[in-house]
Amino acid sequence: MFPREMTVSELERLDRIADAAVDGLQMDEDTFRAFYDRTARQVWAYLARITGDRTLADDLLQESYYRFLRAQQAFTSESHRRNYLFRIATNLANDRYRRNRVANVVALPAENEPGALSDGRDFAAESERRADLSRAMATLKPRERQMLWLAYAQGSSHEEIAESLGLRKASIKILLFRARRRLAAALGVQS
Amino acid sequence: MLQCPREADVLDALASARWPDRVSTELSQHVASCAVCRDVVAVAAAMREDHDATWQEANVPSSGQMWWRAEMRARQEAIRDASRPVTIAQGVAALLALVFVVAAGWFAWPTLQGLFATPPPFLLPLAIGLLAALVVTPVALYFVLSD
Repeated sequence: MFPREMTVSELERLDRIADAAVDGLQMDEDTFRAFYDRTARQVWAYLARITGDRTLADDLLQESYYRFLRAQQAFTSESHRRNYLFRIATNLANDRYRRNRVANVVALPAENEPGALSDGRDFAAESERRADLSRAMATLKPRERQMLWLAYAQGSSHEEIAESLGLRKASIKILLFRARRRLAAALGVQS
Repeated sequence: MLQCPREADVLDALASARWPDRVSTELSQHVASCAVCRDVVAVAAAMREDHDATWQEANVPSSGQMWWRAEMRARQEAIRDASRPVTIAQGVAALLALVFVVAAGWFAWPTLQGLFATPPPFLLPLAIGLLAALVVTPVALYFVLSD
């Protein structure tokens, strides 16, 4: 409220508190950096697709890893740790969706963007297919988009999807079937 | 039918880029006749292509940068939380001081009016002394209490 000078002992006390906060993070720096390098692009792609907003995906990526680091959670495996991170990312995206009703469609990559044409694929045809997918995805509910992305883009198992989305494993099969059917219909596949 | 027993084969063929040209005729024929597998192929092929493209476009901060930001934020939040009681105490003290000054002024106002109407000879030295005390006291307290 009012600026005041601090004594050296006060500053030392605050410094000790700050050090303790850093010590209380989920991982040490090396472990975190290795985990981040393994997962960051996948989390970003997931967030970009389910929110439909790249800038928002950047923000949510930062927030997801920060919350992950601050979480007081014991992990039994790498998969458990990864699913927990996706759970945080999903919850943050859902919160944002409820608050803002974010856009449904991910913008296409800019033409001549580095990497877009480098591997010899038909860029125009791929862009068109991705635009079709974006339009089809926009017709789905956020939970359906999340589930389909985890299952078919990332190849997650039903158990991993359940853990990442906070759902019961038993309900994944039917929910996934419905979501897949809706997306396939939106993509023009006749049942 | 929610799931087809051949779904795993179809997904495997898609993941290993064998679909549609390098799979057995039997699997191709099955997909053509199975509604579940047709949906799986349409959805999984589109999503895998999109995933690969989105992956390439991902421009994430470096792990070192991310760690540094998280560390700074954790420190700032810890310091803010630890400083909060002091800030609240300062606010309460300032409010109480203000209330005290207003109340003292309210009660002393009739006496002060009388004093200013017929000022006694010691009023000026007294006022100067009080003013000096107001300036000197905080400085003296600072030197006494600081490390």
